[in-house]
Amino acid sequence: MKEKENLTAERSLEIIRESIESSQRTITKNSAYSLVWWGICVIAFALLISYLWNNHGGPVWNVMWAAMWVIGYLGEKVIDKRKEPVPENFVSKTIGQVWATFGIFIGAIGMIFGVISCGLLTLTCYASDGNLSGNLYINLTSIISLCFGIASTITGFITKNRIVQVCGFIAGLGGFFCALKFPWAEQLYVMAVVALIGLVIPGIVIYVQNKK
Amino acid sequence: MFKPLDPLLHSELRLAVMSLLVSSDGADFPYIKEQTGATAGNLSVQIDKLSSAGYIKVEKTFKGKKPCTFCRVTPTGLKAFEEYVDALKTYLNVK
Repeated sequence: MKEKENLTAERSLEIIRESIESSQRTITKNSAYSLVWWGICVIAFALLISYLWNNHGGPVWNVMWAAMWVIGYLGEKVIDKRKEPVPENFVSKTIGQVWATFGIFIGAIGMIFGVISCGLLTLTCYASDGNLSGNLYINLTSIISLCFGIASTITGFITKNRIVQVCGFIAGLGGFFCALKFPWAEQLYVMAVVALIGLVIPGIVIYVQNKK
Repeated sequence: MFKPLDPLLHSELRLAVMSLLVSSDGADFPYIKEQTGATAGNLSVQIDKLSSAGYIKVEKTFKGKKPCTFCRVTPTGLKAFEEYVDALKTYLNVK
């Protein structure tokens, strides 16, 4: 681009539109790497934990999700260093904040349930008639799937991407009900599919659609 | 009635730079250069002009050991850009 000062109004408007659109595409494309990376992490850990759960000692292996957060975080740092340095804009910041909120909530729920399963904390559960109803059972995969779906659908609305919206909807509601249907080790397969539909596919779609 | 167009913004490269900066939280020199496709020398001159007018703020920092020139739009620049777009509308019959 050279310095031309005899611009028409139409050309000026075109420059503004092109510059903003091109910048938006580059910045949004960069957000996709994290989605794909975290999706791959969840899929890998879900399959690994389901294998260990089935063959080597039961649901205690769920403790490995903590390792996923560490590996995911370290990987995120490596991706940050290697990806094209681009500035932040409203879209990239909002996507980051949506997924950070998701991560904080899921991490906190996971930790609280970890503490409960270790017997360090007790949750008393009452039935609607006010009597003690026994042990509390909450299907965490259902809750996580729903949160995945909500975060993914919001990402779809922010990026104005119908495919991502639909992926989020399918991952959230599909995962929620499938995890209720398969409450034992199979729920981890549900988690893997939810991560594929709710994170990896949206990440790839966002990347491809914003590629130059 | 046509509104006058800000001569500082009524230039292809300076307008592109301002559009980039308005749509983000600021950007470094290599990013602006890549997005606009301008030469380093020309871009540097135009950034100086925008900076002198108070439209953008230029910060010289370091990214690791490498020097880094980071630009961000100022409130004055944002106002000028909005006025420029408003003025453009009068030429295009947009309400």
